[in-house]
Amino acid sequence: MLALWGALLWIGIARWERVLAAPSGAWDHRVAFATWILAIITLCGGSILQERRIHESRTMKGVGQWSLAWMAFRKSHVAVGAAITVMVFYLAALLTPFLAPFDPAVQGSLITERMLAPSLTHPLGTDQFSRDVLSRVLYGARISLTIGFVAVSISMTIGTVLGAVSGFAGGRLDSLIMRFVDMVISFPRLVLLIAIIAFFEPSIFLIVAVIGLTQWPQPTRLVRGEVLSLREREFIQAGKALGLSKTRLVLRHLIPNTMAPVIVAATLGIGDTIVLEAGLSFLGLGVQPPTASWGTMVADGRDNLLGAWWISTFPGLAIVLVVLSFNLAGDGLRDALDPRLRS
Amino acid sequence: MIAFVLRRVLASIPLVLGIATIVFFLLSLAPGDAASLFVSPNITPEVLEQMRRNMGLDQPVHVRYFRWMSAMLRGDFGISFSRNQPVADIIVQILPNTLILSFCAFLLAFTAGILVGVLQAVRQNRLTDSSLSVVGLFFYSMPSFWLALMLILIFSLGARNLWGWPIWFPASGMTSVEYPFMSPVEQLRDRVAHLVLPSVSLALVLAAGIARYMRGSMLEVIRQDYIRTARSKGLSELSVIFKHALRNGLIPVITLFGLYLPFLFSGTVLIETVFAWPGMGRLVVDAIFQRDYPVVMAGTFIFAIMVVVGNLVADVLYALVDPRIRYD
Amino acid sequence: MRIRHVLGRNGVRGPAFVALTLLLSACGGGDSAGRALAGLPEFCQEVLPRVEAYLSQFEQPSGERYGGTAVVGTIGEMPDGMNALVSSDYSSSQHQSFVNLMTLIDFDEDFEPRPYLAESWEFDEEAETLTFRLRDDVRWHDGTPTSAYDVEFTFSRAIDPETAFPNAAFWTHYEKGPDAVEVLDSLTVRLKVAPHAELLDPWRATAIMPEHLLGDVPPAQLRQHPYGSRCPIGNGPFVFEAHQADASWSFVRNPAFPEALGGPPYLNRYVYRIIPEQTTLLTELLTENLDFYVAPGPDQTPQIESAERLELRTFQFRSYDLVGWNARRAQLADPRVRQALTLGTNREEIVQAIRRGFGEVANAGVPPYHWAFFEGVRDSLRYDPQRAAALLDEAGWIDRDSDGVRENADGEPLAISIKYNLGNQQREDIAQIMQAQLQPLGIAITPQVVEWGTLLNQINTPDIRDFDGVVIGWVTEFKLDDHDLFHSEEVDQPYGWSGTMDPELDRLLDTLQTVVDREEALPLWREYQYRLLDVQPYTYLYHIERLAGLNRRLQDVELDARGEWVNIREWWIPAELR
Repeated sequence: MLALWGALLWIGIARWERVLAAPSGAWDHRVAFATWILAIITLCGGSILQERRIHESRTMKGVGQWSLAWMAFRKSHVAVGAAITVMVFYLAALLTPFLAPFDPAVQGSLITERMLAPSLTHPLGTDQFSRDVLSRVLYGARISLTIGFVAVSISMTIGTVLGAVSGFAGGRLDSLIMRFVDMVISFPRLVLLIAIIAFFEPSIFLIVAVIGLTQWPQPTRLVRGEVLSLREREFIQAGKALGLSKTRLVLRHLIPNTMAPVIVAATLGIGDTIVLEAGLSFLGLGVQPPTASWGTMVADGRDNLLGAWWISTFPGLAIVLVVLSFNLAGDGLRDALDPRLRS
Repeated sequence: MIAFVLRRVLASIPLVLGIATIVFFLLSLAPGDAASLFVSPNITPEVLEQMRRNMGLDQPVHVRYFRWMSAMLRGDFGISFSRNQPVADIIVQILPNTLILSFCAFLLAFTAGILVGVLQAVRQNRLTDSSLSVVGLFFYSMPSFWLALMLILIFSLGARNLWGWPIWFPASGMTSVEYPFMSPVEQLRDRVAHLVLPSVSLALVLAAGIARYMRGSMLEVIRQDYIRTARSKGLSELSVIFKHALRNGLIPVITLFGLYLPFLFSGTVLIETVFAWPGMGRLVVDAIFQRDYPVVMAGTFIFAIMVVVGNLVADVLYALVDPRIRYD
Repeated sequence: MRIRHVLGRNGVRGPAFVALTLLLSACGGGDSAGRALAGLPEFCQEVLPRVEAYLSQFEQPSGERYGGTAVVGTIGEMPDGMNALVSSDYSSSQHQSFVNLMTLIDFDEDFEPRPYLAESWEFDEEAETLTFRLRDDVRWHDGTPTSAYDVEFTFSRAIDPETAFPNAAFWTHYEKGPDAVEVLDSLTVRLKVAPHAELLDPWRATAIMPEHLLGDVPPAQLRQHPYGSRCPIGNGPFVFEAHQADASWSFVRNPAFPEALGGPPYLNRYVYRIIPEQTTLLTELLTENLDFYVAPGPDQTPQIESAERLELRTFQFRSYDLVGWNARRAQLADPRVRQALTLGTNREEIVQAIRRGFGEVANAGVPPYHWAFFEGVRDSLRYDPQRAAALLDEAGWIDRDSDGVRENADGEPLAISIKYNLGNQQREDIAQIMQAQLQPLGIAITPQVVEWGTLLNQINTPDIRDFDGVVIGWVTEFKLDDHDLFHSEEVDQPYGWSGTMDPELDRLLDTLQTVVDREEALPLWREYQYRLLDVQPYTYLYHIERLAGLNRRLQDVELDARGEWVNIREWWIPAELR
């Protein structure tokens, strides 16, 4: 908490010129500015609430599934730490325009500033174009985290809707959807990814779309399974008896109750997507310059692993840290949401 | 049981053919073809036309599709455009390499994953549990090619050149250059030495996932009544865990076996590249870039069959392990 | 000329290893030792025993230098194998020429033709026929003598359209009718030709193929014949031993190689390994599992140089990188704009940054060591942003709305995209550097990546030509001929990328190829290189200085523009280091 305060204040002091110029600047600067203000407000609000809570005596309210889960989640220090790490990374990604010491796309002198080892000016060194690695890692966070988030949102949305429809409708529609799922799952995904990305011009949108559109069968199966077991439960039967419309039943009652496993799957999925994008980068199919994802940076820097290890090691560590955090947080969430696993 | 297997096999035939068809038309959408990759002013346009004729690329796509399909149903995969050999010959040379690597990686991954998962479940929420989780997920979170390169730098380059460790492993290839002149014992040794780094880097990623499943399913099992009964009978903890709990805890992990099988045929391309392992992943990926349709199609076909077989194996194993399930 | 596409002794011991052995012993898999014929195509099962039988009657040479295995590592497979009739990739043709097969002639250190399989050759007085006289002591590895019929076979298959011989342009000045080639006796063969300066060059690049083995194969099926990569039977200094797809090729000494040509090679065995990852290649060189790392990346040189037992060698090569411009585009139609692009690019710095200085700024496709190279263009079009800006002003490209990008009178911005192929780090780097360097001049460059096959389709298909600029490279033969690139006749042919039509260049390109005498040709070459500066269809970047990482135990490796394998017969390893 203190560290966060420190970081926000440091931005205000050390980068005041950028902060002041931000509201009239490029969109990412405006986003960063808004984030900065919001973060400060949230922090203030949070502290006030905390103060109050300490003074107020706790009144026991009805404890729902989510607050139970939250209490269970808080018990696991590892999971909480991981969740905080993830949030810090997202915050850093949003605040990048204020944090990055250099412009990630500007090349320094190709003769004198090329592949410098980490130093005070360049804490993580410079790359083969004399660009500052720290700035690139920070800017890369935006790309990698966005890829993970958007691709998973796409696949989870499709998966949830299809799974719910399939499980609720049953019969022909169900078996049709499930055959389709079988087919997509059996599809050699890598062949598909490479073929599409190679044959069309590779761009970040294409990569996100392709990853998202090939990842939905797993959540579909997951949600369908949940729906099948929920369908026979009392509250749905009651809803049916009340004559609620099917759409309303599915949207308002079925889907919200399947969310727990979907959220867990999504958390884990973001991590997997970031690693998958790194793998594509290795084949030269990742996000293309000058925007660089962490995966691209690791892959492009790997030929210099022996000469200039910092070029690919730091973005690599960033991947490991974020993906690890997503996974730990996801595991914690799973344990917290599954009453059978609570110890 | 046999009827069930037969039914599943029959049902998956349209699936496999459907996938092959989609891939075929997807590839035919690609700009350029195998002949146009021979670029050089020494190659006249007439020669390119002739190459296309020799490869059968001058035909419209539906004709090529039916030709390919009917040839394939007769067991003829055609001739590779980029390697100038019958595809079947190439697959026969490459497939065993992939099988060796996958088998080792599987063995390592399941052994390690199951052991770690059980240990974590037994020590739930204690330091052992969470630190094993973190360590396992650490490897799981690494881009696999990066992990592979690190292993090479540490256990091959570093171990030999920098630190002079007593053991170090070869960084690439399946065998040493002197392999043909070794005694059988040395040959085995040589092969194993070359397998260590690639199979470990594949297995590390898989093992983390397996351990996670194993932990979850063991936790469920341990809470069940018959385990409590076994404990109350005064059986030793070891025997409770390994004799009673493990058998039931393994059931969900077995489905993973089927799920991971296809991964080992396509997910290995990065590992194969880094360790210069001549396997199917590299073959197919190279072929896509070279517009070598016959090889891509054959690879896809084998892959789709692997998925079907994987799922089938999972179902059958499920039935064998869990007596409650009967396929009639 | 072809487009460049860049694409042990492992002691394992110690107790900890035992445990792993146990764990992995099931993984070892048993494959039978030695060479099994089973599984090989019928053709191979038939011919390989004959090779064995023939060669086993020769005694292996003995002497201080004889013995040992050399291992060469490269990034790519040899997809065309040892089949010279379908071959178009560099490594394959190197192995055909110097390792497994033989060419009629080869080049000496000064790139002058000298006898190899052909003992002598002569042109008749009108230079209308070319007669080769073959050596009588060369035999195929199965014992059959190499004869004039093999030459006849190779030539007639190479000109047969059914074969689709990739380098058909080799034979532009050879007659191709049914009686174009005539066997005079078993060692003499005569070809009908039209006068030309470099008539012999194709015979340096095309290895002779065995008629007695492949004569019955229909030409259209030569490409997929098992001869190429399953069991080639050559006549060169090394005999094919084994090929494992995507992994390695191995060759052993040919003990019957003629003494008159230097006799059998020193090495017992030579292995070509395919390792598709550069860091792995470097590791294998550093851990001494490779003796020779072909063409390491410039950024890997410090590690090679600092290793005591390794040495870094460099040599001038016959390839160059360039940015090809599409003058059909309004932005690039004016030669002054193309000159400004070259002047505004600090190519000297690009050589330093991309190649670590291993290269020389180019202004034409003629390499610096070539006899036709003209010193006068060496320093032309040096980095000069002021002059570039002046040229752009002159051509009417001025920043009219002060947005930092120049516009022409119609308000069209000077925005140019530069394409490069997926996965090629150096070309990506070049496009990015040019973007950064040309931006202050008011030129908006957009680097754009395209997958290789797609890129070729976009630039080579005359009615597509979907590019402004493209970063690419050429590998040339010794015979230089830019006709396909720059002649007006070629504008609508695949390689007429630039679309420039210049009568002066046309005239030079037409005459250059017919002048037989070098002294006479030199002034023309000089004029040609000057003219290219004005037309600027390309921004030539640099001639590549090729690199080689060598283990010092491998002795007497000659490296020059002829290629890495040129004197493999003479490589040797001191006895104590084998």
